[in-house]
Amino acid sequence: MSAVSFSSWNGKIVDNRTGKAAKAVDAGVPKMLGDKSFTALMGWNGMVIADAGANVPSLALAYLKEARKLSCGECSVCSIGIDKLTALLEGLIAGKGKKQDIAEIERIVKGVMELSKCNFGRASAVTPVFDAIRYYKDDFLTLIGGKKGATRPYKAAVTAPCLEACPAKLDIPGYIELIRNNKFGESLNLIRKRCILPGVIGRSCTHPCEEACVRNGIDKTLAIRLLKRSAADNDLAQGASALKKPTAERPEKVAIVGAGPAGLAAAYHLRRMGYQVTIFEAFPKGGGMAAVGIPDYRLPKGILEHEIKLIRELGADIQYNKRITKLDMDDLTTQGFKAIFLSVGAHEGTKIGCKGEDAGYEGFVDGAVFLRDLALGKTVEPKGKVVIVGGGNVAMDCARSCLRLGFKEVEILYRRTRKEMPARPEEIEEALEEGVKVRYLVAPVSVLVDGNKVKGAECIRMKLGAPDSSGRRRPIPVKGSEFKVKADMIIPATGQKPDLRFVKDLVPVTGWGTIEVNPETLRTNLENVFAGGDCVSGPATLIEALDAGNKVARSIDAYLQGRTFEPEVSFKGIDVKAQRAIGFVDACAQEKVNLLDPKARVKGFAEVEAPYSDAAAMKEANRCLRCYRLVVWG
Amino acid sequence: MLNVMIDGKKLEAKDGATILQACQANHIPIPTLCFHKDLMPFGACRLCVVEVKANGKWQVTSSCDALIKDKAEVRTNSDKVKESRKLAAELLYYKYPTTKAVRDMAESLGVEVAEGKAEGSDCILCGLCTRTCHEIVGVDALKFVDRGLGRNVAEPKIEYVADACIGCGSCAYVCPTGFVKMEASGDRRMIWDKSFKMVACGKCGRYFAPEDQLKWISKKTGVPMSVLTVCTSCK
Repeated sequence: MSAVSFSSWNGKIVDNRTGKAAKAVDAGVPKMLGDKSFTALMGWNGMVIADAGANVPSLALAYLKEARKLSCGECSVCSIGIDKLTALLEGLIAGKGKKQDIAEIERIVKGVMELSKCNFGRASAVTPVFDAIRYYKDDFLTLIGGKKGATRPYKAAVTAPCLEACPAKLDIPGYIELIRNNKFGESLNLIRKRCILPGVIGRSCTHPCEEACVRNGIDKTLAIRLLKRSAADNDLAQGASALKKPTAERPEKVAIVGAGPAGLAAAYHLRRMGYQVTIFEAFPKGGGMAAVGIPDYRLPKGILEHEIKLIRELGADIQYNKRITKLDMDDLTTQGFKAIFLSVGAHEGTKIGCKGEDAGYEGFVDGAVFLRDLALGKTVEPKGKVVIVGGGNVAMDCARSCLRLGFKEVEILYRRTRKEMPARPEEIEEALEEGVKVRYLVAPVSVLVDGNKVKGAECIRMKLGAPDSSGRRRPIPVKGSEFKVKADMIIPATGQKPDLRFVKDLVPVTGWGTIEVNPETLRTNLENVFAGGDCVSGPATLIEALDAGNKVARSIDAYLQGRTFEPEVSFKGIDVKAQRAIGFVDACAQEKVNLLDPKARVKGFAEVEAPYSDAAAMKEANRCLRCYRLVVWG
Repeated sequence: MLNVMIDGKKLEAKDGATILQACQANHIPIPTLCFHKDLMPFGACRLCVVEVKANGKWQVTSSCDALIKDKAEVRTNSDKVKESRKLAAELLYYKYPTTKAVRDMAESLGVEVAEGKAEGSDCILCGLCTRTCHEIVGVDALKFVDRGLGRNVAEPKIEYVADACIGCGSCAYVCPTGFVKMEASGDRRMIWDKSFKMVACGKCGRYFAPEDQLKWISKKTGVPMSVLTVCTSCK
């Protein structure tokens, strides 16, 4: 990688213009966006000039024009400031500028950075123009005295820390702002562009966006997940809006295997484009893990059912109880399907390496199977004590469901400590409140039985060793520490994998037992067969599966129309969280989230978390700092 | 009570007060355009900026939406504050040069204002009407049109939802620039280009309120229309 001519990225100045020996450029300095290199770039965090011949005033003007589109215009400083700066810069480039204009630009730029209401104005709207005037003053001075400058088009892209952290790249500041301004309906429409299960995701998302929220450094994150739920709940309360129909129908048929989040998202977008979509679903209901993995107390089934109903009403044909046991390409082609999307999920429990786990003992049930049976209406007789093995969300869901079913004692065995537990922190917290017990640093080694019935497990204590590939410290068995745990039922819930027998010898499978695809296009080795969601990623989150569905729809569309698939601009390699200054932001407490009393919770499967009222949602939305990050390059 | 230091003076402030409220209670003048004591702060005009000491550094902040803390140190009249307010006023004046409220404010903060008639009545996006409609009236007939990523809204503006409006006129009352126009003639009231039927008082016969407003009040309070159709003077 050649060194840059100049960089002010993150406020760190690298200046190689005078022919000095090139200094090493910080790893965080963008040198390319996506796969494309640039000659010059301006972004929220500074400017990077790769080619010394770049036209800085022209780029600054292009940056301001893009910033103006993002400026909300609600505070008087940012948008009007940009207007005035644009006029001054246009004057200079047109050869009509005066010397004092440069000082004026400097004064206004500083003012906007200091006085703007939101973090876009303070940290993004004019920041690189500040650097340009400071470090490239001569380029502006030469424009004074009748000499005309040139302008040319540039490319622009926008992100935000929360948006960047979201696997599906939802415009989070955008939909929060619409809620703040009391436009719940428009907010929901914006959410639906990238998340077609807003009520589901608003209840059960792992919300990496909230970890990225800039407010974390000041008080507490915005309740982003709950705000999304507000938009969905408000729509239901208003009488439920339908999804927008496609503008024109297309004749091409697309088959989708599996009506989980990935399949549903793909179906929605393909229908919106006008394609004819059929989904084959093995279970009697759609939603994948959202239907058969997330218990009612976290996600009432009516919410999911409503959101699936909308997709069906859009024209997606979902055929339930239709398990594809062998993918017959000839048959699908005869039926007229031009493209096939495999989104079968990962529903098979992985082994825990415990003696007797394959013996088929009564009372030994895999976690995924347990939750699925429960969701599909099978009655479970509560027994005395249940032991759940694992520390993820499925383990928590099993444990909390068991409490509600009336098991006298519910205990989780986890081989590491609470710190390494992969479940959502609030999920662990709520489980403990309800009375779930957790034994850390313990793993079962063999199932103890009485005849064919489970009566306990022999366990071994663990200690933590060096970190493994997941970054978590590896558990190591402590020799001679074996002990017995009593149990009437054992539920292993340590992981799941896809069942890929139906595509055996048809598509290649990775060492992880998942389908191998091109990560950009999600295409398998077969030109018209695509795959995504848990069957490609291994068990992951609902929002990641939705993203796969969003993406594959664009990829399938490109394939069917004979176009090359264009991936979206990637900010990979740039620390989107980093910004140079934020100024003074007053701490402001998060709106209170009400949870059902733990004693009432365990009596049934009623939803634990209460929604925000519209007023509370608007108040919470008002905490958003609107941290849009803009880059303009060419 | 909180002990605070404003402009070098030891003063008291109520717990939970904003910096602006604390200053007002102590008779320290702070210019505002988008503030109203009965509405949530909005922070739009940026004229109320002050300096606060945070982490040992003087920092600029709007005072209407920042809470004052115990032992807070605030400056309301430093050069930095004056310069900042002047810039905010100057930018408002740049965009709305003929609007009287803006011109007066700019002039009072040291901006050179050109001669000429103040005949404009621009919407300066202060949000007083949207907040009044939401917080006080509760009908949400006025909303900001959002701009942002992927939304093609050329200019920020306020959207009028005619179906929701009850014609109460609160927005016209609270508007600082005269942008919201309300006219009455006979049994009609025009507001935001929507015509409302006025109700005449059952006793004195004066047209005193739009029918839609009385219906709204009746629905909200359960008071029958027959009671509401007598004006407040005759009650």
